[in-house]
Amino acid sequence: MYGIGIIKGLFVTAKRLFMPKITQKYPEVKPDLPPRSKGSFAFNKDSCISCELCSMACPNGVIKVEWHKGADGKKRLDRYRMNLGACLFCGLCVEACPTAPIKSIQFKTLFELACWRKEDIYRIWEKQHPAEAAPEATPVAANAAEGA
Amino acid sequence: MTEFLTTVFNLIQGILGVAPTTLALALPWMDIFWAFVYFVGAVILLIINVIMLIWIERRAAGFFQERVGPNRVGPFGLLQTVNDTIKLLGKEWIMPASADRMVFLIAPLLVVTVAVTMYGLLPYGPGITPVTLNVGILFFLAVSSTNTIAVLMAGWGSNNKYSLLGGMRTVAQIISYEIPMALSIIGIVMLSGSLDLGEIARSQSHVWYVFIQPVAFVIFTISALAELTKSPFDMTEAEQEFVAGYHTEYSGIRFTLFFMGEYANLFSMAALGVVLFFGGASGPWLPPWMWFIGKTYVFILFLLWIRWTFLRIRVDKMMKFNWKFLIPVALANLLVTGVGIKLWQHFVERSI
Repeated sequence: MYGIGIIKGLFVTAKRLFMPKITQKYPEVKPDLPPRSKGSFAFNKDSCISCELCSMACPNGVIKVEWHKGADGKKRLDRYRMNLGACLFCGLCVEACPTAPIKSIQFKTLFELACWRKEDIYRIWEKQHPAEAAPEATPVAANAAEGA
Repeated sequence: MTEFLTTVFNLIQGILGVAPTTLALALPWMDIFWAFVYFVGAVILLIINVIMLIWIERRAAGFFQERVGPNRVGPFGLLQTVNDTIKLLGKEWIMPASADRMVFLIAPLLVVTVAVTMYGLLPYGPGITPVTLNVGILFFLAVSSTNTIAVLMAGWGSNNKYSLLGGMRTVAQIISYEIPMALSIIGIVMLSGSLDLGEIARSQSHVWYVFIQPVAFVIFTISALAELTKSPFDMTEAEQEFVAGYHTEYSGIRFTLFFMGEYANLFSMAALGVVLFFGGASGPWLPPWMWFIGKTYVFILFLLWIRWTFLRIRVDKMMKFNWKFLIPVALANLLVTGVGIKLWQHFVERSI
C-alpha cells in the first residue's frame, strides 16, 4: 500500500522512545570495560624479581626500577616508578615480564588518569625490607636520571 | 496545584480589574492599558513556552534516538535552555560588512513580532482570549504568512549566497504550502459556519472535527510541518546544502530571536490545530486553559515524533508533492464536505 512505510517508520521511532537508553551516565555509572582493556597498570611488588626487563622493553623510558643486593646475593626491589605522562600503553613491559604464573606488571581497566598536578602522573610503588636496613631512596637522584 | 493556580489567576484578575478605575484612566487610555496587559501576558506565555519547548524538543530527540538528552543543568535538565540563552546573550553579535543594515537588523524583530501577534489571537479558554476577532482564522493565516517576509529579509540582508538561497526556498515552500492549509481549514469553516477561532472551538462540543474531517487533519499536519520548516520539510536550514539557511550570518541575541520565533510558531501552529480539530479548550474535570495547553503539547509531541522519524525530502519532490497531490486532495475534500453538508441539511435536518 502507498504510504505504509510512513506508518512503519513512525512505529520504529515510537518503539525507540520506550527502549532503555544506551547512553552511560559516565561520572555516576562507570563503563563496564572488557578485562583486557589497557587502562592503567597494576604492579605486584612481592612477585617482582627486579630483572628490569620491563624497563629495557619500554620504548619511552617510562619505567625505572631501583633495587639493592640482599645478603643472599639476590636482587631486592626498593622502588618501582612509572611516568604515565610519557607512557604509550603499548604493553611491551607486560609482555616482557617473566614472572609466572601471574605477571608482576599488568594492565587494569581503571582509566581515569587525569590529574591536576604534574607530579600526580607518576605511579610509584615502594617496598620496605624490615629485616635488613633498606638504603634510603633518593628521589632527587632518580629524577636526575629520568631527565638524562 | 490547580486550585493554587486558579487562586493566583483570580488575584491577578482582581488587581487588573481594579487598576484602571484606581488610576482613573479615560476610555482610550483604558484600551491601551488592556492592550498592554494582553501584550505582556502573550510575551510571558511565549517565553515560558519557548523555554519548555526547546527542552522538550531536545529531550524528545534524545529519547527517540535511545539517548538521554540534556539532563545536567537543574532537575531533569530543565534549566538547560536558560543556560543556553544566557550563553547566547553573552555572545558578540556580528554583522557582515556588506550587509543591508536596516533589513538585517529588522528581520529578527519582525519574526518575534509575528509570533507574539499570533499568541494574542488564540482562544485559551472561555474568557481568556486576548483579542477576539470575528475573522480570527483569516487574520491568523495572514499574520503567519508575514513570517515569510521576515525570513526573506534575513536572507537578503545578510548578503550571503547561502542565506539568500535559504530565504528564497523558505518563501517558495511556505507560500506553496499555505494553499493546502487554507483549503483544509475552509472545510472546518464550512462546518462550523464561523471564522472566529473561539466559535469554531465551541462548535465542537458534540464531536471533534478530526473525526468528521480526517483528510483535512492529515493535510493540515503535513502543511503545518512545511510552514514551520520542520523535518521532513526543513530544506530552508538544510545543513548539508547551505550552512544554516537564512540565519547563517546571525549570532548572539539576533540568532536567539530567530530561534525563539521558530519555537513560538511551533506552539501557535499546534494550538491552531487543537482549536480546529480537537475541540479547543473543552474537556472534563480540569480547567479549560489546562486542557488547551495539554492538548497543544500532545499535538506538539506528535509533530516532534514526525520530525525525528523522517528524512529531509528533496526540494523538487516537496514541491511536486504539494502541487500535484496535496492541493487536488484538499480540493476533493472540500467538494465532498460541501456535498455532505448539503445532503445533511436536505435529509437529516429537515426530518428533525
